[in-house]
Order: sequence, then C-alpha cells, then structure tokens
Amino acid sequence: MRERRILAVAAAVLGLGAAAADLRPSADVRHLATEIEAEADHISALDLGARIRSGEPDLRVLDLRSEAEFTSFHIPGARNVSLTKLAAERLPRQGTTVLYSEGGTHAAQAWVLLRVQGYGNVFVLREGIYEWISRVFQPRLAVDASAAERTEFARAAELSRFFGGTPLAGVPRSEVPQGYWTGATPASAPLIEKIHRRGC
Amino acid sequence: MKSRAYADPYIAGVGIGLVLLAAYAVAGRGLGASGAFSTVVAAGTVAVRGHGAAASPAVAPYLSGGILHDWLVLELCGVALGGFLSAWLAGRFHFAVERGPHLGVRGRVAASVCGGVLMGIGAKFARGCTSGQALTGGALLSAGSWLFIAGCFATAYLLSPVARRLWR
Amino acid sequence: MTVEWAASVLGLAFGFCLERGGLAFAPKLAAQFYLTDLTVFKVMFSALLTAMLGAFWLDKLGLMDLSQVAMPETFVLPQLVGGALFGAGFLIAGLCPGTSCVAAASGRLDGVAAIAGILAGVAAFNSAYGWIAPFYASTARGAIGFPELLGMSHGLGVALVTAMALGGFWAAERIERSRA
Repeated sequence: MRERRILAVAAAVLGLGAAAADLRPSADVRHLATEIEAEADHISALDLGARIRSGEPDLRVLDLRSEAEFTSFHIPGARNVSLTKLAAERLPRQGTTVLYSEGGTHAAQAWVLLRVQGYGNVFVLREGIYEWISRVFQPRLAVDASAAERTEFARAAELSRFFGGTPLAGVPRSEVPQGYWTGATPASAPLIEKIHRRGC
Repeated sequence: MKSRAYADPYIAGVGIGLVLLAAYAVAGRGLGASGAFSTVVAAGTVAVRGHGAAASPAVAPYLSGGILHDWLVLELCGVALGGFLSAWLAGRFHFAVERGPHLGVRGRVAASVCGGVLMGIGAKFARGCTSGQALTGGALLSAGSWLFIAGCFATAYLLSPVARRLWR
Repeated sequence: MTVEWAASVLGLAFGFCLERGGLAFAPKLAAQFYLTDLTVFKVMFSALLTAMLGAFWLDKLGLMDLSQVAMPETFVLPQLVGGALFGAGFLIAGLCPGTSCVAAASGRLDGVAAIAGILAGVAAFNSAYGWIAPFYASTARGAIGFPELLGMSHGLGVALVTAMALGGFWAAERIERSRA
C-alpha cells in the first residue's frame, strides 16, 4: 500500500511538472534576427542540388506550396507539407531541413516557426521553386557570356543533367541578366516572371 | 503446488512501463503484438499461394526481412517465453480452458476464436492493438492511439450486457 | 543483431510482467467490463503513465531524443472503427493479441484459440483489402499527438493524462471495494 502512495505522488509531481516545463518556448529571438541578417538561413539551389545528389542522409526537403503545385513539379525527394501541418509535426532533431515555397515567403516564415521551436540546421531556398528551376533544372547561358559565367554555368548544367533537366546555352542576353552566374545580385525577377509565364 | 498470488497491478504496470521506456530508448520504437500476426499471415499466404501473392498490397509491407528477423515476431516469442517462465515459477502453469461459470469448453473456444477474428480485423484498421496503439502510442500521446483507446473501451463497456452469458 | 536480441529480451520482460499481473487469465481480463476487477485498467494505465512520464522527462533532460522514437500515424476513422471492433472482440475473447500469447504459454487453450482467431481475422482483412483500402487510408493526419492537434503544449497533454489516470485509479479502487 505504501509503495502505491509513493508511486502516485511521484506520478502527480512529474505530471504536473510536465505542464510547467512546457510553458515557455525555447528560443532567443534576437539570435534568430542576427542569423537572418547574416543570411545564415539561406541555402543556394546549386548547393542543395549537390547535396541531394550526394545522397546526404537525414536531408529533408520540404515543399510548402499547394498539393496541386507540388504534383505538377517539385524538387526531387521533396515532401509536400502545409505550414499548419509543419507547425504541428515533430521533426527529427538530427539532420538538415530545407524549406522552399513558390516565392520564398512561406518558406521564410516556416524557418522562423521551426527555429523558434529549437530546431537547428534549417535553411531556406531564397527564391523558392523558381530558384531551383532557373539555377538547376533549366539553367540558361547567354550567347555573350564571360568565362567566369561559363564556368559557373557548367557546374549548374552538370547538376541539371543529373536531375533530368534541360540546360541551354546560347540564349539571348535579355533572358539572362548580367552577372547571374557570377554571384552578383541575382536580378532574377525578370527571369522568374518569364519562367512563371512559361508555366512550369 | 500452491500457486503464488498475483503481483500488485500497479507494480506490474510500472514494470511494463519501464520495459516500454527501455524499448523507446534502445530501439527507437515501442512494443506491439498484432503486427507480428500480420507478418505470420503474410508469410503463410506466400507459402500457400506462391510468390505471386507477395505483390498483394495487403501482404507486401509485411514481407521484407523475413519472419525470423521481424522485430514484433521476435518480441512475441519473448512474450511467450516470459509468460511461460512467470507462470511456471508461480505454479500457475497448467492446461485449461479458462471461461465463465456458465460456459462450456466448446462455447468458450468458439467465443475465443470469434473474439480473435474481430480483434484481428480491428487491429488491422487501427494499425495496432492494446500493446502497439493503446500502450506504445498512448504513452507518446498519439492522437490516433487515444482514439483507439476510446473506441475500444467504450465499445467493450457498452456491449458487456450482451456478452454477460460468457463471463457471469 | 543487437536490436533483434533486444526485441526478445524486452518481450520476455513484457510477457513476464503481464503474467505476474494476472493478465493471462481471461475471466480476470473480462471482469474489467463488469466492474468487478479493474486490474486491466490499473496495469495498462500504470504502464502508460510510467512510459509517458519517463519519456517526457528523459527527453527534457537531454538523456533521450523523443523525436527519434517512431510515433504511430493517426487515421481518425479507421482507428475509431478499428478500436470499436477490437473492443468487441476483446470483450468476447477476454484476451488481446499480447495476452493471448501469454495465456497460450501458460497452457491455456483459450489463448491458442484466440491466436487462431486473430490470424483468421487478419487473413480475412487481407482478402477484402481491395475494397477496404480507400477507407483504410482515409482521414490521415500524420504522426501527430493529441496535444498538438488540440493546440496545447505537449507538457499539458502529459499533465492531463496523468490527472486522468490517477483519478481513474482512485475511482477503480472505490468501485472494486463497493463490489467486494
């Protein structure tokens, strides 16, 4: 009888304590803000492609778009999940999570949601699915590309072929902003618009 | 041989809980039972109907790895052995057909089989039984496991008057 | 190989404790539903409470990673319906899949009969799988806990289950005493 009482008290203490233990979320918001400004939350499409190809274990790629958009095209190996579902899920603590959406907004918001819960190694594809399409799946090289551009493009083209994409060289300069492949600010808006209208 | 009294149910329960906790920690999964029955049926289906049956979507998930390497089958073998050891040590091992006071052997065996059929079907729908869902999933607070607990106990209590003749 | 040994060793401890608690004896299990012997409830929820509190706190203290433990997926309707069917079967047989093995291992032929029935039920389900499949796969919610589903913290869910279980134990003792 005595043992039962001890067990009951222990259970009550541990049970009530559990409610108290989960009252505060576990992240330092200022730290997260610093990470965002330093762009430590980003991963480039090329890096992502290389990591997917290398068969990295525990690499989760999450697509935050609608089911219809996911079905029509998605990054190989990605899983479709809505923001609300993601917020309720328990992800494994190990490994890397990469988030992408159509333009990048939902992915960035999901990044905050995950980091605030204490998940580490979470990254965002800054320009969403279009960054993947324009940098990995269907990379384009202008006719008058510089040598530096050609080298970068070659890396993208190789990845593109691995994923069954269509690299294309010799397109008009108007379609590929200057400096697109040499790391200058990716003025990708015109390119993204063009892809969007192409209806991928 | 006089048999020993049963252990305090709370102590037995804590014991099982510690075993379950050890399973979480060591194997990253909990305990179960009904899954082993699925594996046995799958293996039996292929044995009887040949390799063509292995493609069936109901059976295929239970065929990878072989029956002797299946976690749940190995676990249930342990359960049987542990049950036998405890019964034997406590003087509770004997051949019998346990039943209610007003039920004969044949009625009891029929009831056991029928009850088993319902449990087999129910466990398939629920993806588990009292061990895999109620205990393992329940301790992890899985929503579906608690739905299973509710459905299982509510139904049993509601139907108890109907089954009275079996047990009282 | 070690994981396979672990399965058998854990199973052995599980089966041993089940038998010690009297759960190999079908009339004792069925008595639960006539409120004369609530051993099943006490054993099951003590086990659940122990594992739940142990897992929660070991995870909080960083000694165990709960997210690495396989959580069952939720399928709302199939699990409710499955639970109901299972409950009916449990009442009629007086044993569940795990305890039927313990009963059989104790020499009880009703345990063997229950095992045969469960195998038959699984086989029946398999042969009907073609038309069952849509319902079987319906209302999927992924691997989600009820606290997350209801918008409460995991810890609060743990506290609620603890309160419910302890309240249940107190009620069980009173009910059994009043029936004695």
